[in-house]
Amino acid sequence: MKVVPSRSSEWVGPVTSQKRASAIIEIDRVSQVFQTSARKDHLALSNISLTIEEGAFVSILGPSGCGKSTLLYIVGGFVSPTSGAAKIKGQAITGPGPDRGPVFQEFALFPWKTVLGNVMYGPRQQGVRAAEAEAQSRALIEMVGLKGYESFYPKELSGGMKQRVALARTLAYHPEVLLMDEPFGALDAHTRTRLQNDLLNIWERDRKTVLFVTHSVDEAVFLSDKVVMMSKSPGCIREVIDIDLPRPRRRNELLLDPRYQKYIVNIERMFDESDEAGAPS
Amino acid sequence: MISPAAVTKRAAPVLACIGLLAVWQVASLGLKNDSFPTAIEAIRAIPDILGDKESLINILASLRRMAIGFGIAVLVSIPLGLLMGRSRAVAAFFNPLLMVIYPVPKAALMPIIMLWLGVGDITKTLVIFLGVSLPVIYHSFEGAKAVEEKMLWSGAAMGLSPLQRLVRIVLPAALPEILTGCRTGLVLALITMITSEMIARQSGAGNILFNALDMGQYDTVYAMIIIVGAMGICLDAVFERVRARLVRWSEPQFDMPLSFS
Repeated sequence: MKVVPSRSSEWVGPVTSQKRASAIIEIDRVSQVFQTSARKDHLALSNISLTIEEGAFVSILGPSGCGKSTLLYIVGGFVSPTSGAAKIKGQAITGPGPDRGPVFQEFALFPWKTVLGNVMYGPRQQGVRAAEAEAQSRALIEMVGLKGYESFYPKELSGGMKQRVALARTLAYHPEVLLMDEPFGALDAHTRTRLQNDLLNIWERDRKTVLFVTHSVDEAVFLSDKVVMMSKSPGCIREVIDIDLPRPRRRNELLLDPRYQKYIVNIERMFDESDEAGAPS
Repeated sequence: MISPAAVTKRAAPVLACIGLLAVWQVASLGLKNDSFPTAIEAIRAIPDILGDKESLINILASLRRMAIGFGIAVLVSIPLGLLMGRSRAVAAFFNPLLMVIYPVPKAALMPIIMLWLGVGDITKTLVIFLGVSLPVIYHSFEGAKAVEEKMLWSGAAMGLSPLQRLVRIVLPAALPEILTGCRTGLVLALITMITSEMIARQSGAGNILFNALDMGQYDTVYAMIIIVGAMGICLDAVFERVRARLVRWSEPQFDMPLSFS
């Protein structure tokens, strides 16, 4: 079920977790402490609680160093929180699993596999028969716009193409939640825009739950149902904002839409305020 | 049609060999030293060695020991190196041990090994094994350490167990580095093979070489040096072909990103 953004005229408001029925991911008072080399503890995440509803596109937005990627890794099961717990569908997350599919900024493709081999990897691991996995994978490769590149190696592809492969590879094993860790952060502006558009098109077909980490305000607003604003040192949630913009979203329409512009201006203003408040005097 | 560049590339090694032999020939004629035969004399002695059944058996015995020593070393060293690269505990345990063994010339251990195991095949094969192991362990270790964490996470999310990740992600990802180690190992196998036969004379290519030296048959000595050198070149060329095949996906000629987002 998709979360319907609140229709109230008040565009911002902290989200309470009364919609527990459709919650797919629950993060409960999670803190993460890293030991730095100087044996000093660094509090990367402080007491984070967040509920993500099934089918929602949620962005985690914040400056670098605010622990937003760490939060995503905790949900992925790649990192264990120092305290607190994360749950998926009521089950405590103890490690990675095929119900949560990551897409990383670094692509992390298997360089010794072709595009097709990369996309087929997950389904084959899950025991899908070769012929069936190949048919599904070819369809996915076409969906992400790489038809004709099935037999290419990652090394032969541009960054944008690699990220398309990575997305197809993750979608191939049908995770219930997509965990996207600044997926377009390493791409040039033009490629980035194209991939944002394509991601929205793909997402709007089946509306999987997406947790999307980014430091770009307009990317977060453009894509999301909900934006979780984080601030740093220690990393904590500053504000959760529902993005009440109609879907399907078209970039050229949104850029002219005063509501879209207002979201961006307001979010940027909040970040500026927190920067000033946090600046050393 | 063959381009001039291709001709140059093909002809260069041949020219280098001919050049080396020519310098040798001239130097030898100039020095007129009994213990320094001319290149032509040495080359003339090669068919005699290769035509002699006894010598051939010796050389084949050498190659067999080398193959066994190299094979076992690779089979043991790659898993060990990969485990060291992915587990701090395993690395902490083995690193000091290897650091102690690394600078010791493996041939220097031979007298001790001979005391335990005699002068037969086992001793020589063991020395070859030791010579090959260290570079292969080292490169496997470095290769495994460099494997991107996110690649392993991607595999874990697909449901790969830790062992599956080691075999199906770390191993192929580290393969270019591992094969670099194996290539070094192959050359070291040849070197330790000859040295081991120099110390424990009994059979082998090294035995022919040093027996001839004792008997003052200098053309045979130099012919054996040529034969061993040629073996090294051939083995390396064959290995390089196999290597290039296995890691085609990482070769630089593929490094041509397409302009398309």
